[in-house]
Amino acid sequence: MDVAEARAAPAVAALPIRRRRGAWAAFARHLLRDPYALIGISIYAIFVVVGLTAPWLAPYDPMEILFTADGGLAASLPPSADHWLGTTNLGRDIVSQLVMGTQPSLIVGLSAAVAVASIGTVVGLLAGYFGGAVDQVLMRVTDIVLGLPFLPFVIVVTALLGPELQNIVFAVAVLLWPNAARVIRSQVLTLSQRQFVEAARVTGAGEWRILFVHVAPSVLPFSALYGAFAVGWAILTQASIAFLGFGDSSAISWGTMLQDAYASQALDRGQYFWFLPAGFCIVLVVLAGFLVSRGYEDLLFPKLRDDT
Amino acid sequence: MSAAPEQPLVAAYGLAKHYPVGRSLRQVLRGERPILRAVDGVDLALRPGESVGLVGESGSGKTTIGRLLLKLTEPSAGQIAFAGEDLGRLDRRATLRFRQRAQLVFQNPFDALNPRFSIGRALAEPLSNTGVPRAEHEARMAESLRRVHLGDPAQVLERMPHQLSGGQLQRVVLARALVLRPRFLVADEPVSMLDVSVRAGILNLLRELRDTLGLTTLAISHDLTLVRYVCERTLVMYLGKVVEDGPTAQVIARPAHPYTRALIRAVPRPHVDQPRDALPLHGALGDAANLASGCRLRNRCPHAFDRCAAETPALIEIAPSHRAACHLHTA
Amino acid sequence: MTELLAVRDLAVAYANGAVHAVDGANLSVRRGGMLGLVGESGCGKTTLARALMGVLPGGARITRGEARLDGTDLVALSPAARRARLWRDLAFVPQTAMSALDPVYRLRDQMREVLCDRGGLSRTAADARAVELFEAVGLHPSRLADYPHQFSGGMRQRAAIALALALKPKLVIADEPVTALDVIVQRQVLDTFRSLSTDLGLSAIIVTHDISVVAYLCDQVAVMYAGRVVEHGPANAVLEQPSHPYTMGLMNAFPDLESDEAVLAPIEGSPPPLSDPPPGCRFAPRCPFAEAVCTREVPPAVAVTPDHWAACHRTPEAAALRPRARDPLTWRGVAEATA
Repeated sequence: MDVAEARAAPAVAALPIRRRRGAWAAFARHLLRDPYALIGISIYAIFVVVGLTAPWLAPYDPMEILFTADGGLAASLPPSADHWLGTTNLGRDIVSQLVMGTQPSLIVGLSAAVAVASIGTVVGLLAGYFGGAVDQVLMRVTDIVLGLPFLPFVIVVTALLGPELQNIVFAVAVLLWPNAARVIRSQVLTLSQRQFVEAARVTGAGEWRILFVHVAPSVLPFSALYGAFAVGWAILTQASIAFLGFGDSSAISWGTMLQDAYASQALDRGQYFWFLPAGFCIVLVVLAGFLVSRGYEDLLFPKLRDDT
Repeated sequence: MSAAPEQPLVAAYGLAKHYPVGRSLRQVLRGERPILRAVDGVDLALRPGESVGLVGESGSGKTTIGRLLLKLTEPSAGQIAFAGEDLGRLDRRATLRFRQRAQLVFQNPFDALNPRFSIGRALAEPLSNTGVPRAEHEARMAESLRRVHLGDPAQVLERMPHQLSGGQLQRVVLARALVLRPRFLVADEPVSMLDVSVRAGILNLLRELRDTLGLTTLAISHDLTLVRYVCERTLVMYLGKVVEDGPTAQVIARPAHPYTRALIRAVPRPHVDQPRDALPLHGALGDAANLASGCRLRNRCPHAFDRCAAETPALIEIAPSHRAACHLHTA
Repeated sequence: MTELLAVRDLAVAYANGAVHAVDGANLSVRRGGMLGLVGESGCGKTTLARALMGVLPGGARITRGEARLDGTDLVALSPAARRARLWRDLAFVPQTAMSALDPVYRLRDQMREVLCDRGGLSRTAADARAVELFEAVGLHPSRLADYPHQFSGGMRQRAAIALALALKPKLVIADEPVTALDVIVQRQVLDTFRSLSTDLGLSAIIVTHDISVVAYLCDQVAVMYAGRVVEHGPANAVLEQPSHPYTMGLMNAFPDLESDEAVLAPIEGSPPPLSDPPPGCRFAPRCPFAEAVCTREVPPAVAVTPDHWAACHRTPEAAALRPRARDPLTWRGVAEATA
């Protein structure tokens, strides 16, 4: 449609490039102005890069059992030039585990983000725009889901469906979409009152066109934002499940690293370099989620912005 | 109703719009379902080319009338005919055709344009919505921008709403309404959000459009001075009913309804030397959810007598083409 | 009548001095007088009012000038000291009364808070004073027992006025006090102000965009444009014989209910950005009478009569310019030609 429109009207031919700037530009401006948001996004970005390049970054195969030059098992070595963070009690390189552990975290985080953002946006748009019975049904479902206890629900899901990553993503998505849906619904309610929505109606636009062309673009930054929150939550959940022993023990992740360290009593042996970095990575990713949310608080609650 | 010399373009019969209102606990227990009578039995007819002002305070139902006439909300009772067609029975295609012919100018130009759409896209939308061939878009947009005196179309079309001033935006809003070449235009408080120095330009433009395009216009406003400047005929509303209808000059010079009289007296003038005597009306606007019997103004009216409580006054002709709903004129 | 408030060359800057919302404003209020401060949105009238009360938003501060209220320079006081004088010296009536009234307290309790805590009255004395105040603004004293939401818009505005008057302030500043009200209610609130002025000798600044409100209510007018007061004088003189082209333009852009089909003359263009105002007269780019000097030199206040001045280089020719300003053609194309 964009192309056809541009062809028919040379005077506005330059326009498609400039479109959709408003909200995303605001999004980007926040990012540059708010150091917290910038730090949060940077942390996410670093982990994404590490995750994508992990096979090349990791010095060893994380599952390979290593031996010392004299033929002995390279178990529980302290940090050295060969093994920056030492080795596990089974002689595996911890740096390699940490780097490779980024991958499942990332897969879980990003797919949960996409799932949460999509479900939340669709539900929020439909409930807010059509109102009435649609709104009632969707919002009551939202209420019920909000009442589910978080970790127990994930544990039950993984116990029933298996510990694979996609099941954890499924559980996290089921639990986290209602927050996004609620905020987007209220946003849609406000937008529906705007005169430009009525203007579209009076100039003959159909309801679906109004919803997708006039209303939806303004809520997409919110979808992205709730997706960003979901990244941290999903990674934390996957780590918790792994640590609690419900995870997939054959896959390396930060959670399974913590679990292994705990089970082998690394703390008693003072092997802080085994579990602290993994814990630190989890904290960092979750923290990044909160920093992003902090930075975009005024986007969510415009009142704060008006007062400054 | 007196026989109109011409077939009206827009006509409404017994038009009403009622809304349910929130109930108090007592009302719930008693099983009462109070309703707000925003518009309550209005007949009106706009002749082709006529410019009519609809005046009233907030809560008088004037904005609801505008929305009803544009089929933006459905009436609780009554009928609206546009060029002889019943608005309640339009199918999808007929509704789209109606949208081409009846347009709205919004109150708040800062809100009436999608902030993420360029002016060009905002003006093109009505055209593509109503199926105007794309080849015609450019010419139609340029034509309507010229009508509102917005300078070089090629430049304006590329602008985003936030790059324009309030007055310019209101011209764009007008251009968007005109791009469909409508026959009927509703302007709901078209200048109330604009600065004084800019208002004059928009008011002059409304006048000019009325004269050059032969548009039938309904200007909705709380501001009598605006209506005085743009409209030939004025309707005055009070709590969901039309209480006076007549040529603007005559309504302002010789108001026939006590409410109109108070409304006119209440408007401050831009001169130091002006009447400042007490208003011939007391109390505050009544509650449209809890109306008195008979005349809705009777509790505030200095002339009220027995009949006003017993009987709702009808709009009757008191002079040629001047009607008022007040028992004083039949007593 | 003596001078109660004298503002000289007051400037208020936002954003670290980059934007002057008020830039060298002069005005005076007489004891027992009502000054109408007129201007369009963004001209700095609200900022000026807030500066006087010491309630400027964060990031804004007074950068120069003085504001003498009864001899005391308010500018020399710290913002906190200025705020401490609120209610007693200066009181405020906002545009929407809901922002002055606390929705969770009865009016009587809000009156008591001001009268007892700020004014040091006893509870009984405070209640008696509250009754007095409600009667003065035309509200029945029984309504003191009500919450703000039980009042209609006009009554709420009157309650806000009563609250502002509680400690007999020397000066009341009302920011667009009737803008949000319907015509009939607006008239009732205007009449409340008028009776306070005649009966109690209230001194007030009425900030408004509406010339008719000023004409109805005020004895003095100050017209603001782009951060400066451009004309100041008795309401009668300023409105009937405007001497600044901007005032002339405003008067001609205003429809009058009574005048016949006269065509309105819009002032073309828009006010200059306050971050980058033009040198010289700030109205020059939109002024049909601008000359070379207007774009170079800031016009001084030129006296028309001893108590009426206009900041315009061509003030002495005002009488000749006035009829030309009434012709819409005079204004057409001015802003584009100079842009």
